[in-house]
Amino acid sequence: MIVRSATSDLQPPTTKMQAVNSTTTVNSVTPRARIARLSAVAMLAAVVAGCAQDAPQDTWQPAGSNARQINDLDIWVFSIAGIVGVAVFSVLGFAVWKYRDRGQPIPEQTHGKPALEIGLTILPALILIGIAIPTVGTIMDLNKTDDTECIINVTGQQWWWEVDYPVQDGCGGIEEPIVTSGQMVIEAGSKVLVRGTSRDVIHSWWIPRLNGKRDMVPGRIHTVRLEADEPGIYAGQCTEFCGLSHANMRMEVIAMEPDDFAAWKANQLEAYASPDEGTLAAEGEATFITQCSRCHQVDGLTDSGGELVVARPDQNVWSGAAPNLTNFMTRNTFAGATWNLLSNECWPDVWEADSSEVGAAYLEGVSDSCLNEVELREWLRNAPAKKPMYTDPESLEETDGLPRGMPYLALSEDQIDQLIAYLLERK
Amino acid sequence: MSDSVITEPAPDAVDVVEDHPAEHAGDDHGHDDHAHGGHHSSLGLSNNKLAMWLFLGSECLLFGGLISTYMLYRNRHSAELGPDQLWDIPFTSASSFVLLTSSLTMVLAVSAANRKDLRNTKIFLGVTALLGGLFVAGQIYEFTTFYREGLGFTTSLFSSSFFTLTGFHGVHVSIGIIMLVATIGMIQKDKISGDKAEAVEMVGLYWHFVDIVWIIIFTLVYLIPA
Amino acid sequence: MAIIERPAETPDARPAGTAQAPTAATNYGYLRRPVETTGWRSWAFTVDHKKIGIMYGAVAMFFFIIGGLEAGLIRLQLAGPDGTILSADKYNQMFTMHATTMVFLFVMPMAAAFANYFIPLQIGARDVAFPRLNALSLWVFVFGGVFLNTSWFLGGGADGGWFMYAPNSSVPFSPTNGVDFWALGLQITGIASLVGAINLIVTVLNMRAPGMSMMKMPIFTWMAFVVQMLLLFAIPVITVALFLLMFQRSFGATFFSVEAGADPLLWQHLFWIFGHPEVYILVLPSFGIISEVLPVFSKKPLFGYPFVVFSGAAIGFVGWGVWAHHMFASGLGPVSVAVFSVATMAIAVPTGVKIINWTLTMWGGKLKFTTAMLFAVGLIVQFTIGGLSGVTHAVAPSDTQQTDTYYIVAHFHYVIFGGAVLGLFSGFYYWWPKIFGKLLSEGWGKWNFWLMIAGMNLTFGPMHIIGLQGQPRRMYVWTEFRAGEGFFNLGFWNLVATIGTFILAVGVLLFLVNIWITHRPGSKTPPAPADPWDARSLEWITSSPPKEYNFARTPQVSELDEFFHRKYEDVGEGDSHEYVQRMTGEEVIQHEEDNADPNIHLPAPSYWPMVLAFSLPIMAYGVIYNTLLIVAGGAIAVMAMFGWALEPADAEQSDYDPTDDGGETSKELANV
Repeated sequence: MIVRSATSDLQPPTTKMQAVNSTTTVNSVTPRARIARLSAVAMLAAVVAGCAQDAPQDTWQPAGSNARQINDLDIWVFSIAGIVGVAVFSVLGFAVWKYRDRGQPIPEQTHGKPALEIGLTILPALILIGIAIPTVGTIMDLNKTDDTECIINVTGQQWWWEVDYPVQDGCGGIEEPIVTSGQMVIEAGSKVLVRGTSRDVIHSWWIPRLNGKRDMVPGRIHTVRLEADEPGIYAGQCTEFCGLSHANMRMEVIAMEPDDFAAWKANQLEAYASPDEGTLAAEGEATFITQCSRCHQVDGLTDSGGELVVARPDQNVWSGAAPNLTNFMTRNTFAGATWNLLSNECWPDVWEADSSEVGAAYLEGVSDSCLNEVELREWLRNAPAKKPMYTDPESLEETDGLPRGMPYLALSEDQIDQLIAYLLERK
Repeated sequence: MSDSVITEPAPDAVDVVEDHPAEHAGDDHGHDDHAHGGHHSSLGLSNNKLAMWLFLGSECLLFGGLISTYMLYRNRHSAELGPDQLWDIPFTSASSFVLLTSSLTMVLAVSAANRKDLRNTKIFLGVTALLGGLFVAGQIYEFTTFYREGLGFTTSLFSSSFFTLTGFHGVHVSIGIIMLVATIGMIQKDKISGDKAEAVEMVGLYWHFVDIVWIIIFTLVYLIPA
Repeated sequence: MAIIERPAETPDARPAGTAQAPTAATNYGYLRRPVETTGWRSWAFTVDHKKIGIMYGAVAMFFFIIGGLEAGLIRLQLAGPDGTILSADKYNQMFTMHATTMVFLFVMPMAAAFANYFIPLQIGARDVAFPRLNALSLWVFVFGGVFLNTSWFLGGGADGGWFMYAPNSSVPFSPTNGVDFWALGLQITGIASLVGAINLIVTVLNMRAPGMSMMKMPIFTWMAFVVQMLLLFAIPVITVALFLLMFQRSFGATFFSVEAGADPLLWQHLFWIFGHPEVYILVLPSFGIISEVLPVFSKKPLFGYPFVVFSGAAIGFVGWGVWAHHMFASGLGPVSVAVFSVATMAIAVPTGVKIINWTLTMWGGKLKFTTAMLFAVGLIVQFTIGGLSGVTHAVAPSDTQQTDTYYIVAHFHYVIFGGAVLGLFSGFYYWWPKIFGKLLSEGWGKWNFWLMIAGMNLTFGPMHIIGLQGQPRRMYVWTEFRAGEGFFNLGFWNLVATIGTFILAVGVLLFLVNIWITHRPGSKTPPAPADPWDARSLEWITSSPPKEYNFARTPQVSELDEFFHRKYEDVGEGDSHEYVQRMTGEEVIQHEEDNADPNIHLPAPSYWPMVLAFSLPIMAYGVIYNTLLIVAGGAIAVMAMFGWALEPADAEQSDYDPTDDGGETSKELANV
């Protein structure tokens, strides 16, 4: 095995040195490499500075205690990561510059320095321990929900959220269940426990400015604690891929002052008011009964014979439910909170109201002068054309003929006029 | 030719269940006949046997996943169609004993192969295959009984997991039987050149693994109450 | 199956001269073995690890382009709000297939290409342990990848996301055959990976050259070895998951049906127990590649070789214990979350160690910034960014804000593109002269590199911001309302990311241009020397490209960086080190050839691997369309396996004889 001596027998030692191979002009690139590296760092800095303002789902603009706890931890961790990154790049940048080939002899063939390596292994481990300890603490803290006093259920379904308030002493007292969809109204400052599940696939409930997300899994109930410091509208989106219209499954949490919240509750539970006879809305009520009430519930609606009209979405929709439209116009988004019910003119009055006025603005609901009629008409005219859903009868073999989403109803323009008039009164 | 002594330990490309003593007959390699899957191997274990061990390692994870699924779903069944109602422990014990015995005959086959006693090798391989076949027949009988009593593949999560787990095992046993019979045939037709013992050993490794998996399945599925 | 018997005419004979004319075979088994040494048949039925490696690489590169086109369409759709380039349905297929293609049909096979080509060369072997099995892996991968992509023409690609969560993956929610193609396609490619893993592990453990202990193995081989061990144990887990899914979809089982009492999280656990080791499978080969490149172009050995080896193994081990960090929002309890969170932080330690080792390799060195070196340094920079964002997700509470947003998309593209892919490109430039006999253009290479860096940072950098400011992933549209205000709002960054994609695409295109420029007919690129980079490891003690038998003489290894130490000797005394070059690379190679082995055994080509591979998509189509096809495919498989087992093994009976001696003698074929 004495290769060396074999080779040395063949060739006398050549002059000490260098690689025999000449290579292309690579070293002239090095100053450019340094400039490029510097500009990359500058770019990074610019990128960090250039963020969106007032992004509604900004995780770095916490508006409630849970999100703030997470963000505090983020600041600690990101700072450490940033420092480590800068340190690594500095050392690397320096090495790239200092040790570029300037004609020096073959360097010392250092195989390693165990002490240094062990030290540089222990150092990251210590840093990570410094991150791990507050992390575990925060995990346990965030898991505490025993201070919550208001329970709201959410149920995800392709592709909308049902929100319901069970009877309880919490939330300032709820005497009868309230069922709504897409927008969850809470009292600012109250500690809410969201209990959630799904009727079909896995969805995820995420209101970034209030808390991290939690998956809503069929067959299980998961909880999320929500608390908003100030009145306002907090946007969210379903964040677990749930099929065709996952992108069109949104929600908002509206926090308001206690008085406003009480008013909201009272309004939600007000008895049904039939439209005046002979009005377009009255025709709309009749159309609603024939065209919509198979799936959509309006509490208190009675038919011409005085019988309560009860929606049966469990027989007409694959996942078993459809949004409750009793107080449709007290919300300001529809179709899975995908489109605004408020027109572009009226929308800022509510969404950009500051915290002292947002409650009152929200409680106004949607009036006919503020209605986003174009979108609502499009929806009623042909819902599947507007929002991708599985409703084409030919493709429903795997779901026993039941649609997933709102089907095309072939409504006439007159029927749409009637329904809009009727729906405008659902407040 | 001193070089050849050094270089013969050179790694040799070899394929599964193959051997090639004939070409070395004329060589002056001076290598010995051990571990024929790769003349000299750095690990001391021939290529073929090492490959089989690795494959069996991956199979552990396969059965691990199937067993975990079963353990998760073992209780999800109706009151009338659960283990307590369906299992016939004496019968399954008997077929387990058959499979265990086949491992014994497998050991005897390997021993015979190592002694170059081809006749007994074939006999013991054959008996192993027969016992394996008997086990599979017992499984089939058992499953058809369950089916008649109402437990189909899609009846419940318990049934799906049970049939998937035991079905995969049964398929592994069946493939093992095919391997045993093929080995007998190849010994008969002298298609295994060189170290027949290694081929038999490889099949033996596989067979014992399949047996051990059955012991685990039998214990977890049949013997331990839900 | 060994075939070339080179008669030992004289002690110093080069391995040339006519080989023994093979005698007529008396028993061919079912099919004659293929005999062609040129033309497409010499590629289709080859068992030579080098040709197989090249084919793996070419097909993987093809799928890279496909995956890139899919990405381009995604980014076009997201360039502006409420995009209309892709419908929701097509978009969902696009991102699912983009990820599946990139992970399973590009990065994994490309790493397999390098592993196949270079593991035998780096350990001084002539081929892998099981050459026909190697060919099987290749063809199974090729047919599996093609099968998966035929879904585009047969009802639509899979549309449930590349991790295909249940219950969305079951039939009522994914009624087209896309998911079936996905599940079956991945089963098929999984077989390729598993078989390849067994092959390469046996090769590394059993076929190292004399004197090469495990701790003298080149580092790329070590990392690739860890990867094969990961594959060996991870593939069976996803196999189980895919079977359960297949039984659910095709045979009515209820493994993921909540109405029947199933737990949807079962899929997530099974998938991610595979999925997390999978990401190390993706990146470790590239770590191995740059661990080769950096020392060569720093003229220093890898700093802390044992640490790099052990940290690679540690990553392999600990990687099994962190899978649920993909599930922090899925409803695990706080204790599980805390445990997985801390474990995930732990795995940052061995990864960080590597960054340190690479940097210290360069420290004090003599750095030459060839394109290969640029890509290697690029990997360190980009992977550090990706790794640090990974540490931020290890913090579980933060992850509940980050998961399923573009921040995660940013992270994994930085580690996969900036890590795995840049490493692969470094390997391309470094090893190209060895594989193909010509050096790629350094000029084009620089443009290739810088455009890829600029493109990748412009594409994935903004995604950090987009994600942290609330844009979820897997959404076919984003809206103005949720994009925030100001010039630098999410709309701006989405547009920047789209522009970056096209810069990146041009960068990748330049790589293809480089190949064309170098190899086109009439190219002026001269043949490459055998040792263009003054390299350190064993694979360079061969011609460029290597002869079919790799080494004229099986190398005797006495230390790590064997080749370097044959060229250079330390004549310093005591603490001072002075390196004297005593031989050039060419001289080392010449010396080996002058002492060539007289007897070289090479494996013979075979039809059976391709036949067996072909049976698999047939069976898969059968599962989707017609049970008879399963039977037909099964019959072909059984016949192929018997044919394989009965294929003649003996050299004299084989009719294949490649007299690969540089063309000095004519190729002699069997005359039967």
